[in-house]
Amino acid sequence: MITHLVRLMWNKRRANALILLEILLAFLVLFGVYAFGFYNLDRFSSPLGFSYENSVGLRLNLPEDMDSASTVSMQKRIRDEILLVSGVEQATFIGSINPFSGNMYFNGNDDNGYELRTQGFFADEHFAETMNLELREGRWFDETDVTSKYIPVLVNGALMDEFYPAANSLVDSILIIEGEKKIIGVVENFKYRSNFSENAPLTFFPTRSRDVTKYPFQMMIIRASSGRTAAIEEPIYNLVRDITKNTDVVIWNMADDRIKANKPVVVPLVVLTLISTFLLINIALGLFGVLFTQINRRRAEIGLRKAMGATPAQITTQFVLEVLLVATAALLLGVFFAVQVPILELTSIPAKFFYFGIVAAIITILLIVFLCASIPSRQAAGLQPADVLHED
Amino acid sequence: MIELKNISKSYRTDTIETLALQHMTMSVPSGEFLSIMGPSGCGKSTLLNIMGLIDEPTEGTMTLAGKEIAGYNGAQMARFRNEQLGFIFQSFHLINDLSVVDNVELPLLYRKVGGKERRRLALEALARVGLSNRAKHFPNQLSGGQKQRVAIARAIVGRPNIILADEPTGNLDSQMGDEIMEILLKLNSEIGTTIVMVTHDERMAKKTHRLVRLSDGERVS
Ligand SMILES: Nc1ncnc2c1ncn2[C@@H]1O[C@H](COP(=O)(O)OP(=O)(O)OP(=O)(O)O)[C@@H](O)[C@H]1O
Ligand SMILES: [Mg+2]
Repeated sequence: MITHLVRLMWNKRRANALILLEILLAFLVLFGVYAFGFYNLDRFSSPLGFSYENSVGLRLNLPEDMDSASTVSMQKRIRDEILLVSGVEQATFIGSINPFSGNMYFNGNDDNGYELRTQGFFADEHFAETMNLELREGRWFDETDVTSKYIPVLVNGALMDEFYPAANSLVDSILIIEGEKKIIGVVENFKYRSNFSENAPLTFFPTRSRDVTKYPFQMMIIRASSGRTAAIEEPIYNLVRDITKNTDVVIWNMADDRIKANKPVVVPLVVLTLISTFLLINIALGLFGVLFTQINRRRAEIGLRKAMGATPAQITTQFVLEVLLVATAALLLGVFFAVQVPILELTSIPAKFFYFGIVAAIITILLIVFLCASIPSRQAAGLQPADVLHED
Repeated sequence: MIELKNISKSYRTDTIETLALQHMTMSVPSGEFLSIMGPSGCGKSTLLNIMGLIDEPTEGTMTLAGKEIAGYNGAQMARFRNEQLGFIFQSFHLINDLSVVDNVELPLLYRKVGGKERRRLALEALARVGLSNRAKHFPNQLSGGQKQRVAIARAIVGRPNIILADEPTGNLDSQMGDEIMEILLKLNSEIGTTIVMVTHDERMAKKTHRLVRLSDGERVS
């Protein structure tokens, strides 16, 4: 039966070319959307590694021309007073990179015996507690680090996994980055840019790593108790303004910022999903229409086949198989094109997502084709041979 | 052996009811070559379709090879058509997108016959009708007589006991008609195939064992 149908479809290749092209197009679009979607879902499903839900961010302006001692003491006073505000649970000073802002700091060298490339994040000793960071090993910065021989750093799990896959522990290792630093701990995850960002290598630098007079930390993250996030904003604004004698104080909700940070992926994802759903519906309707007219035009053939002894089930099977054959040809062609993307490494997205995309697109297409073919085929199977043979 | 008892067939279209066959009783013994004649619209094709199980009578009973048809379901009827019956139509009804040999294979496709065996039997049937050299052609590359010979090859490829031919020579000139008739006569005399043939041609009818005349859905002789 299959060889018979292959010959029949081959003899009708011109009529089938359009269906083939349509299925090919649908496959390629679906493949792209699935690969992009799977990749981002995978990103999204990996944990951020910190809590943001009840936190606000704050940017202040310290008075200029202060020496380091007065800068440090003003920062301490601001933090101490903020902690006294009712509803505040913790507070931390951070450098110029803040979560969900889109800002990034990159550093790298090949002094460690490999090509190190890492993002940098600057925070004081209260950061881990404020953000509820989870440590794989070691500890966060504390007062003892102020006088230690080496400037301490922490790295994230991704840095350890990528550059030290065989290491059991990195604590007390020396990492050469802006000079020799000592690793005092490993933070499991810290996806500070958005839910969709890569879990890439990252290094945490302490206050001590920057010149306090030139680059004082002027941003804060303040964690409130649940439900108090909005309530703490005004008293904090007032007290910071009064201490710094500067009205340029900005406070924002971190939960809102997270949604904003996710938008560059969420929006195209939603748009692509809508477009491809619409396209699929269109293609399904088109396919249905084409098959319907094609099968109707072959009423005499159906009558004849029944007269020759084809059962209704065999007629249905024949027409469904015919379309599946054309779809298979289209999918083979489509897979040939699709695999070029991971093989030629056309994007930085890992290959496995493209293979998932191929499989999912094939399943979707076959399902649609099967549904579109089975309704007209079933109808064809119900025709009375005497009626249709009579027609011409 | 085909036996019709009191067969009637009416077609209902919206308001009009056409009585195509009325209380038809007849029997065709095995090995007979029977011809049916009658004016256009008298129900000849209807009768043949009912005998061929591609149409159902409104009334009456039919037995084929000793079995009553009424109890058959769709799949059983399909099987009977496939194994016992061969059809030849006035307008050939070849599938234009299939080569001649693929067309001839068609009845075997619905049996459990392997691809090679199918091909062999189809080529053998084509040889019987003298068309071996046209196996790879497509129907639209053939003359009317050749098409009808392909249709005959298709009808005999499954070695049916009964062939139902509805004006097999109606669309052909007299010489081609004679050729087709020769083939049918040979099938009947050599293999003993029962043949029921509708025709408008007295000359053809004379060559068969028996002639039945219809008029307005009724048997007149
Ligand atoms: N499917 C149908 N629906 C309605 N009426 C039909 C149908 N098939 C046949 N008829 C009617 O039944 C009658 C007998 O038709 P049938 O085709 O058997 O005639 P026929 O003897 O074969 O004629 P012809 O010599 O022209 O082929 C005609 O009046 C025809 O109009
Ligand atoms: Mg007729």
